[in-house]
Amino acid sequence: MTPCRYRASSYNMGTEAYVPRPDDFFPVRFRSSAVKECIHAIMKENLANVQYNPEETPELTQSLSETIKDRLKVEGFHRYKMVVQVVIGEQRGEGVNMAARCFWDADTDNYAQDVFMNDSLFCVVAAFGCFYY
Amino acid sequence: MEPEKKRTKEDTWKSDELKKHLRVSQSDSQSEDKKQKEKKLQRDRKTHDMVDYKGYIHKDQDKDRGKAEERTSERERFKSSERDRDKLRDRESGKDHHREREREKLKEKDQEIEGEGPEKEKHITRKDKEKVSDKEGDRKYRRDDLKQMLIENNLKASGGRDKEQRRRRESKDQLEQANIRDDVKERRHTERKVKEGKKSESKNSLGEFLTKKDEEGGHRHKSHRDQELNKDRGRSHIDKREHSVRGGKERPSKERSHGLFVKDGEEKYVSRRRKEGSSIEDRERQLSKNNEKRQREENERKKRDLKNSEHKKQGKSLREEEETSLQHERNARDKGKSIEREKKEDTSQRPHQGEHVSAWKPMQRQKREEEPEIGDNYLTNYEDDFEDYEDDFDDDDNEDNDNEARDSEERLREIPVSKKSEIEEIQRAINAENERIGTLLPKQIKKKSEKEPNMERQDSSARGSLCGMFMDFETANQRQSSQIMATKQKKRSSELLRLIDLDFSVSFSLLDLPPVNEYDMYIRNFGKTNTKQAYVQSNEDNLERDVQTDEIETLEKWTQHPGDSVLVSGGPRSSNGVSTDIVVTPKIDSQRLTNFLRSACQVIAVLLEEDRVATQPRWNLRSRQTSLSISDSCFQLNTNLPFLHGRKVSCLHISQVQRQALLSVHGLPEKPGAIQLDRKYIVCVWNVWQPSSPQKVLVCEAEVSCCCFSPSKATLVFAGTMDGSLVVWDLREDSRMHHCVKLNGTDWIFRSPTFSTDGILSSLNHTYPVLAIEPVSTSVYKEQNYGLSHLSSQEEMSGLSFQIASMDENGTLNLWVAVELQKVDLAGSQSDLGLIPGGKVKLVHSSTVQLNSSLFPKDILCLRKPQTLNIKFLPSNPNHFIVGTDIGVVSHGARHDLRVPPKLFKPQQGGPRSIRANAVDFSPFGKPIFLVGCSDGSIRLHQMTSEHPLIQWNDSTNGQPVIALQWALTRPAVFFALDASSTVYIWDLLENDLCPVAKQIIQSDKVMTMVVLGEPEKTNGLLGIALAKQSGIIDIQYVKKRWALPQSEESEKLQLLLEQSL
Repeated sequence: MTPCRYRASSYNMGTEAYVPRPDDFFPVRFRSSAVKECIHAIMKENLANVQYNPEETPELTQSLSETIKDRLKVEGFHRYKMVVQVVIGEQRGEGVNMAARCFWDADTDNYAQDVFMNDSLFCVVAAFGCFYY
Repeated sequence: MEPEKKRTKEDTWKSDELKKHLRVSQSDSQSEDKKQKEKKLQRDRKTHDMVDYKGYIHKDQDKDRGKAEERTSERERFKSSERDRDKLRDRESGKDHHREREREKLKEKDQEIEGEGPEKEKHITRKDKEKVSDKEGDRKYRRDDLKQMLIENNLKASGGRDKEQRRRRESKDQLEQANIRDDVKERRHTERKVKEGKKSESKNSLGEFLTKKDEEGGHRHKSHRDQELNKDRGRSHIDKREHSVRGGKERPSKERSHGLFVKDGEEKYVSRRRKEGSSIEDRERQLSKNNEKRQREENERKKRDLKNSEHKKQGKSLREEEETSLQHERNARDKGKSIEREKKEDTSQRPHQGEHVSAWKPMQRQKREEEPEIGDNYLTNYEDDFEDYEDDFDDDDNEDNDNEARDSEERLREIPVSKKSEIEEIQRAINAENERIGTLLPKQIKKKSEKEPNMERQDSSARGSLCGMFMDFETANQRQSSQIMATKQKKRSSELLRLIDLDFSVSFSLLDLPPVNEYDMYIRNFGKTNTKQAYVQSNEDNLERDVQTDEIETLEKWTQHPGDSVLVSGGPRSSNGVSTDIVVTPKIDSQRLTNFLRSACQVIAVLLEEDRVATQPRWNLRSRQTSLSISDSCFQLNTNLPFLHGRKVSCLHISQVQRQALLSVHGLPEKPGAIQLDRKYIVCVWNVWQPSSPQKVLVCEAEVSCCCFSPSKATLVFAGTMDGSLVVWDLREDSRMHHCVKLNGTDWIFRSPTFSTDGILSSLNHTYPVLAIEPVSTSVYKEQNYGLSHLSSQEEMSGLSFQIASMDENGTLNLWVAVELQKVDLAGSQSDLGLIPGGKVKLVHSSTVQLNSSLFPKDILCLRKPQTLNIKFLPSNPNHFIVGTDIGVVSHGARHDLRVPPKLFKPQQGGPRSIRANAVDFSPFGKPIFLVGCSDGSIRLHQMTSEHPLIQWNDSTNGQPVIALQWALTRPAVFFALDASSTVYIWDLLENDLCPVAKQIIQSDKVMTMVVLGEPEKTNGLLGIALAKQSGIIDIQYVKKRWALPQSEESEKLQLLLEQSL
């Protein structure tokens, strides 16, 4: 398999007050389904007719992760720190297994992931939302 | 050319080199002294190397010289293509200038030779000075060099830098070739320069430093330098310089005029400076590590040098011209910028000269502030142009250095020897410092090139703080704020961690993509590759499946049997149809219809005949022809049939239940005819109401001696044969089971026996001819109501619950049970061998009675064994029977061996004698009386209770044996008798109990047998006698009404009569 590129972007609101749970002040909880839809839409938009090219992939992953991060910010998860991980690999028939494990507060934090595949590449996007208390 | 240069710059600063450089510079800063020592060692080592090197070069240079002249012409061409027009213009003057310079150098060298006295150290210092001056020229060469180099080989940029340096050196050598004396010195000098080339930059700056020091003591030195320069350069140049000095303020416009040129030059300097920075480092490394490599490269380098040298010369001249033109502006700028330059030098020197830096720092800032004012346009966007300015400064530095160097040379010339040692010491110190700075400077340059001046500042300040000598408040503030932030964060996290729990999530599977197997991969990639799929038809998939059995079509139908109406069957027409479609018209079986019609016709015919008889229109008509005296009417059964021709009727029988049913037994024909049936005996079943033809024709192989109907219904015919066998015909059998013969246009069915005991049951069978066969009703009810109860009992008797008694002449009485089989086997039964295939009735032997032993007393038996002739069962009690014998007596028996009195019924007179009791007959009216007709012509009337007869008539027949004797069915007191002379007697006991009331002799034919027929149930008084004649004719005579019609209280009168007779 071609080495995967990823880029993580973080986002910090830097607010001082503690908000122990998202419901108290900010009803916008990191809902996996909504985020997934968002991710899916972006991936579909950006990767629909893209062929795998090892030269361009790093930039693509970067731009994709930035796009998703920005979109998620617009979505309004204000108290969340976002980590968007984008992995693009070439589809060549090899088996791929990818997993993630998090050390977090399961009550507030969540993640969403989606996979996009076409003939030449697969793209895995995982967006982790860490609640900023 | 610019971009190329830039690229070389980029190439120069490769990441690994950078890292190395950083490392080196940092380590240098910490262990400066150590490095210095090392460098000295290196230097010493190199001086040794150089001895060999010099010799080597020397040889080459002779060659080079020859070539150099050739190339001057080439140079001209090259210049035209490469140089700007300005340069071309300036070339001529440049050349002159070049010549001047050479001259100058020669002078210098002369001085050097002079100065190169006994002390080596001095020599070295002098050389250094010389080098400084040379360097100025060198720089110019180098610049040209670079140009050439980049054109020729851009790729060798980093490697070529070293070479370039050497080339520079050699080109200088070439320039100095004219001065052969100095050759050796020069060479050594160049070699020194290899070592010290790296320090050139720092030396320059150091030079500046020195000048600055000089400046502290008044600008004497500078003015002196200017003087020197002016002296050295031609008049024109001085003018120019003056002009430029004058035009310091109008520089922008001037620069515009020089625009392209100046920029070009500046940028070249930029690149060169960078190169120098890197090259210094490179050189340092390479020199320390691989001197051998240098020698290897020497050959290449020389070759190149030969080429380059021309250009260098040319370039040098041009360059000098340039510089001189630029000199003015620069000098003008120098005044302001020299301060900046100093500042820059300070920054570089700061680590080493802590006090110096700290002292200088404020100055630096101050100068920075001043710069915008001084630099005018240039400094407006200071950050961007910083580099360029620096380059300018460098350039200026170089110029200054050059000038300074020249100054120092000149000074050397002027300064007495006593001072030289002092200067040398200073220079040595400067060198040492230069070395130190040289290691640091590249880093700074690098940082500047990365456009991170702030960082640089921070770095330097940080370093300064490390040394504890410099307080950087900005950094301190930053650190403090960051510390505050950190503590805040810490506090925050500690507070938060109390509120929340962090845990490890289960691992999410983000992607699980199974490997694609080979085939899928092939299929997926198939369309993409330049392939085409070829198809092969192997016909393997062309499978055929066939079912031979047809689809079973099913339809639901219903039938009703027996059909109540015309609707006997129906059902849905199609499988899914709900409505029932009733088939109204049943199929017509023409054969069955024919059969039906035939039998129906018979019935109708019989009915019609019965009607006729009842109305008597034709009865009389017919009887008239053969009328007898005793009869009202008579008719013949139609025995004029082809199969009955010539057959004698031996026996007649009338059913006790169905009075119209008559059996006639026909013997073998006298003369055999053509018909197959000639060897067979025939029994005909007649309906007396339909005399035209027999109902059934039965055939038998054996001679039939006696026959009878089944008791309840005339459906079965039993017959005994002379063979001793019994045969049974089932009249209900289908005619198709039997042989059908077409005779004279009519189909006749000759029925074979259904069952025959012939050949089977041999142990039980009769061994003598069967003389009598009688049905035995098992029911007892007959005792209560005779006669009239027959109809009611008929149905009960239909179950064949009766026995057949057969008696042979030996006195063996067999009782048989007629069994009707439930199942018909058309293929023939395996167990019942006497049964015809498809037959349903068979006889089962019930019991055997030997009449001779049981019935007759011993006295009779002792005479001779009596022969039994006939047997009759008492109608009221079938258990009792009477047997007529040939000894004149009639024995009385019972079935279950019951001894019942009287044993014998004897004649009135005499004992047993050979008189055959030919006929015995019970009275049909239930009275226990019977008649016996004997062969001696006597007729006896017996009652069951008495051994002797009530009445005996001995001579009624004139001694003729009585053949047949039978009671009339309609009148209890009338009976008929037939004797052997074919005379029929009618007795009416009420009328005359002594002799018959009528007597009729049948003349025409001998009457074989007679049977009485009549219907006691009817009151029409029809009473007839059937006479079987020898000719085969069966005559039926209806006796006259006076004998036929029953009279009132006849039974009582008869009873009375009988009582009287007792």
